[in-house]
Amino acid sequence: MNILIMVIFVVLAAFTLAAGVMVVTVKNIIHAALWLIASFFSVAAMYLLMEAEFIAIVQVLVYVGAISILVLFAIMLTRHVTGEGVRQLYKRWWIALIVAAALFGVLIVPTVFNYEWAVQPSGAQISIASTVEIGTAFMREYLLPFEVASVLLLVALIGAIVIAFEERSTRRRVLTLAEEVEQRRQRNESLRLAPTTHASETSE
Amino acid sequence: MPDIQIPSIDLGVSLQLLIIFGGAMVLLLADLFSGEGNKRIVGYIALLFVVGAAAAGVPYWDAPRSTFNGMLVLDNFALTLNWIFLLSTAITILISLEYLPRQGIERGEYYALLLFALGGMMLLAQGTDLIVLFLGLELLSITLYVLAGFAYPRLSSEEAAMKYLLIGAFAAGFLVFGIALLYGATGTSSLAGIANKLGSGLAADDVAFMLAGAALVIIGFGYKISMAPFHMWTPDVYEGSPTPVAAFMSVGTKGAGFAALARLLLVALGSQYATWGLILAILAAVTMVIGNVSAVAQTNVKRMLAYSSIGHAGYILMGVLSAGSPAAANRGIEGFLFYLLAYSLTNLGAFAVLIALEQRGEAAWSLDDFAGLWHRQPFLAIAMALCMFSLAGVPPTAGFWGKFYVFTAAWEAGLQWLAVVGVITSAIAAFFYLRIIVQMFMRDPVREISPSLDRNLMIGVGLAALGVIVFGISPTPVIDLVQGSVLALSR
Amino acid sequence: MLAHYAFIGVFFIAAASFPILPLIGAYFLRPSRPTEVKLDTYECGLEAIGDIWVQFKVQYYLYALAFVVFDIEVVFLYPWAVAFNQLGLFALVEMAIFLFILIGGLVYAWRKGALEWV
Repeated sequence: MNILIMVIFVVLAAFTLAAGVMVVTVKNIIHAALWLIASFFSVAAMYLLMEAEFIAIVQVLVYVGAISILVLFAIMLTRHVTGEGVRQLYKRWWIALIVAAALFGVLIVPTVFNYEWAVQPSGAQISIASTVEIGTAFMREYLLPFEVASVLLLVALIGAIVIAFEERSTRRRVLTLAEEVEQRRQRNESLRLAPTTHASETSE
Repeated sequence: MPDIQIPSIDLGVSLQLLIIFGGAMVLLLADLFSGEGNKRIVGYIALLFVVGAAAAGVPYWDAPRSTFNGMLVLDNFALTLNWIFLLSTAITILISLEYLPRQGIERGEYYALLLFALGGMMLLAQGTDLIVLFLGLELLSITLYVLAGFAYPRLSSEEAAMKYLLIGAFAAGFLVFGIALLYGATGTSSLAGIANKLGSGLAADDVAFMLAGAALVIIGFGYKISMAPFHMWTPDVYEGSPTPVAAFMSVGTKGAGFAALARLLLVALGSQYATWGLILAILAAVTMVIGNVSAVAQTNVKRMLAYSSIGHAGYILMGVLSAGSPAAANRGIEGFLFYLLAYSLTNLGAFAVLIALEQRGEAAWSLDDFAGLWHRQPFLAIAMALCMFSLAGVPPTAGFWGKFYVFTAAWEAGLQWLAVVGVITSAIAAFFYLRIIVQMFMRDPVREISPSLDRNLMIGVGLAALGVIVFGISPTPVIDLVQGSVLALSR
Repeated sequence: MLAHYAFIGVFFIAAASFPILPLIGAYFLRPSRPTEVKLDTYECGLEAIGDIWVQFKVQYYLYALAFVVFDIEVVFLYPWAVAFNQLGLFALVEMAIFLFILIGGLVYAWRKGALEWV
């Protein structure tokens, strides 16, 4: 069993790392976002491997579900940027490499040398917060933060609407199909007259 | 049907919070079902809820209790802070009522968001658990991001919202990381629990984590109270935000941030005063110097008030940190609360005068625009003069007593040098406050400006100015109030 | 606990191989004679016009944000549902309050017309 878990872990870790590398190296930004989702997903699998059930579910719900949707929508809000022909490395990339390696070293070296590995858990079972325990805690000890979180979500929703949403009165009316066809016909005519405006017209 | 086992929750402790949050929900619905162009009614309903919440707190004076497993308390300290916040919000609503339609940004959500922010502030005053404090701060911050960008076709307002959001998110990161480290070191997120754990001694490794966590949490709050060196965002954000929002931010965020910081420092980390006392004293001195010296160079009065609010953060911090020393434990808290009340009234009054001078599309905030205000609007000139005197700390205004309290607290705490720095910076500050008074009373008008003074704004300005002068002449009721609040926090 | 999830792992692998295996098989079996028309992008049988990249309206982002809010709500619902049997009736009331507050937001978004497709 332990060997199997080890194998699964190595496969997952390799996949997570590979996906992470792809995120920063692919040129198409949409592909980068998709690789990011893949890496989130395998991190969720790692959580499961560590028996952190709830965190794994949250990882899938929040990161794979929500954050990646936001990332993709944010990309689609921008103008056409594929990143083709954009330099991904700057001249002094090696300085960044040294700094990153040094930071990684500072974190990993003390961990490797100070931690006592291969210690069997002593007789008492380590209490891992299971989903049931978390659910009970929300309803008993942490009732206040739980309810306040709901208010926080409500405020976030209202805030998003206030900032991003135009009032109905100031907004363009939703067109009927006939009007839309007519509009499209006119646009096509203007396209034929001035083909250079094509890119900005279609972006509507 | 099974029995409902209701956990022992004392709803009285959260009564004010419930009124405010419930009120905010009602306002949302009132906004939805009220007609276009008549959102003032929503503002009046909001005022009703604020007054109701203030009245609801009266029976709980001198009856400290806690609920939700000790995560929420209602002691005299929290109650006094709640009243200060409610008063600030009431004045903010009054000065916004006519401002919003005049600027063409009237939307009913404004008042609901204000009440949500107020709820967040009250959570910060009442919370005794790091998680609750974090949620309160986020609630306050998210509403303020939106409110800062409320005048959104105006670019400066968008800029303010953007800057505040980026800085705020950054600060929240510090705060969460700090909370995680504190929890890791002590195994609890409750302030009293942390104090217990620190009292019984920590392992050497955990002490390092605890100190790092405490430092990160203080940095997180430092952004909110615009303590140097985390104050950079303040002038731009205050200048760009709609003026009533800037007024609300300058007193609300600051007061709530200080309330939570005071509880954290005095309750949870009280035993570590030797470590944070001197560091915070130096930061307070730097804050006072930076805020007041930068304000001297400003010719835009709104920007000047923003810098001066940084300086005042230094004075308030002086009161909070003095309370950590056993010699000035009571004095410090009294000074903090008195100063906060005086500063809130004064700053709201000053910003309200700016609102009167702000016309649609064109703001008259330069020093020259104040020239000769006395001849055109004596009421505004007198109110502004009172506020300036109070900010400068000239007797007989509330600001004088605030400064007096804070300086004596620092002196008693053995931080004589800090008190001296405070006096010197106050003298510097007096220069630019008095400059406005000179402009208003002794110069002739430079250009034609017609201040718009409506009834609600007049009530707001009058209330603030009246408070400043009345509490200045007879500070006894306020002194009784703040002295009563101290006992609650006795450890 | 891991043993339970092993099922999901096996299921996941089986599901993933379901489309991949036929594609690999087809790759070896099919004749390969590409022409220009065959390699063209397929778009309802019409000739593809313009760019695949269209700039979204800000309004669409609002749907994403609303989705995120209710997604986070599910994060809170999930442990409550798992622990429901141990919790008793009051937990139902607590969750009802939680949901009621958020339904306020939904009503707000609805009445404002933020949920209309534009």
